[in-house]
Amino acid sequence: MTDVKIIFNREFKAYFYSPIAYVFSIIFIVLNSGLYMFHFFFFGNADMRAFFSQLPLTLGLIFIPAISMRLWSEENKLGTIELLLTLPMKIEHIVLGKFLASFVFYLVALSGTLVIPILLVILGRPDFGPIIGGYFGAILLGAFFLAVGIFISGFFSDQIVSLIITSVTCGFLALIGWQYVPMVIDGWFSGLGEFLYNYVGVTRHFNDIERGVVDIRSIIYFLSFTALFLYLNAKSLARRKY
Amino acid sequence: MIELKNINKDYGLTKALVDVSFSIKKGEIIGFVGPNGAGKSTAMKIITTYTAPTSGKATIGGYDVLENPLEVRKLIGYLPETVPLYADMLVKEYLEFIGAARHLNGTFKQRYDWVVDACGLGNVLHRQIAVLSKGFKQRTCLAQALIHDPEVLVLDEPTSGLDPLQIIGIRNLIRELAHEKTIILSTHILPEVATIADRILVINEGQIVGDGSFEELRKKVTQRNSIYLAVKSSKKDFQSAIKSISEIEDIEFDDNVRRGVVACHLFSKIDLVEKLNELVREQKWNILEFQPEKLSLEDSFIKLTQSTNSTPEQTESANVSSADEKGGAK
Repeated sequence: MTDVKIIFNREFKAYFYSPIAYVFSIIFIVLNSGLYMFHFFFFGNADMRAFFSQLPLTLGLIFIPAISMRLWSEENKLGTIELLLTLPMKIEHIVLGKFLASFVFYLVALSGTLVIPILLVILGRPDFGPIIGGYFGAILLGAFFLAVGIFISGFFSDQIVSLIITSVTCGFLALIGWQYVPMVIDGWFSGLGEFLYNYVGVTRHFNDIERGVVDIRSIIYFLSFTALFLYLNAKSLARRKY
Repeated sequence: MIELKNINKDYGLTKALVDVSFSIKKGEIIGFVGPNGAGKSTAMKIITTYTAPTSGKATIGGYDVLENPLEVRKLIGYLPETVPLYADMLVKEYLEFIGAARHLNGTFKQRYDWVVDACGLGNVLHRQIAVLSKGFKQRTCLAQALIHDPEVLVLDEPTSGLDPLQIIGIRNLIRELAHEKTIILSTHILPEVATIADRILVINEGQIVGDGSFEELRKKVTQRNSIYLAVKSSKKDFQSAIKSISEIEDIEFDDNVRRGVVACHLFSKIDLVEKLNELVREQKWNILEFQPEKLSLEDSFIKLTQSTNSTPEQTESANVSSADEKGGAK
């Protein structure tokens, strides 16, 4: 476990070496809160439904890929991967350390949005169930997307390529949960859209949790996919060996 | 200490290593030479467990690289050709990270002080790696390879990009370490190998084409002796006089001399020095130059690599790189 900690420390610090971390956090908080504020003032409801309903798409398309892109792509580009993979550490520990660093960084950015529930408490009497459920879902969703992102970044040495491919993948996973998209897919291949909606898309599971309906199957869905992609990441790096 | 048996490595259709076998004893310094793309780095990547061989068996200190990679990695200090450094870190932070990753805990301070001194990093510890010169980057990376006092050092082109003074520094450091460690270094700079290495492995097109000390390798490629002779005489007289030595197999005249001087390379299976001396005395020639010629390391290297490969392109690249080295080594 010390190895995980050593890698975590380096990776987490690495986020703050460049101004990207600060810029990213501010944009994340401003954009998500900003998009939400429009709903808030327009409908005047003391809940965060609008905030959480847009979250899978904004996370999947931009924010998670931006956090995960550098995890391996930077190592590939600098050649430090050769150094890292010849250290006396298990590849699984390195992957876990990197993942946790990005995950904690994500949690820090997410905690910045806590101003919204605080505001709601001041201004009205919100129902805490969906808000807590929403944050819980956001944490699980973030972990899943980050695992996809770290897996993809292992294949590329260009961070921008990692960003785009992760964005397309996570964006797809988010979109097929929006009933309209599986309907279109069903039009092409009968049944495929429904299958994707039910078993692959994240939005349905996320919505369940966010509504306060904590279904154990949804939790298992997020945790098992997170673990699967981390495992695949370790395997792909151990196997690649060129 | 290091044992490679029938190692093959394919990258798709290209064969990077073909049936490579060698063993290296504890405490030996091995020079790995060969033209670009010959497979030096690939062999080193297999030894350091970064790359898995397609087939064959490699053991380091008794540990198999595939079965026990973590044990192998503990034994090895590795300086890859790409000089991998985290550009955003300070030199100090970088070495601390490696120290932690190598689990040095208690001994870190002592080892850290030693590598900083040995690699001459004292003045740059608080500088960002990105802004360091090539030489300092190379030395920071070398420090990384030495920090855990490894039994085996694998150095892929340790002196590339350094100025002559730094090269001498690194060479001395390697020599200092030589007694206690097993060292493999690959290089383009041939004189470097000749001065440091106990044994040279010449690799070309993925195959070991020469294995032995510098002298042994030279003998292997030199089939005949050659002497360069320049005397004051006319070419006609010289030619008729030289015929008296029947052992001379071949004469190559050197036309880049002033009038009234004859210069040539004389080739023979035996040592010609005494017979030529006699002839010179007989003819009362004025000697301007008389020099037994030895094949330089570059020449032997080219000969070794040429004898195995056939494509003219590669031969040329060998020539070019050795020409570079002549320049670079001065």
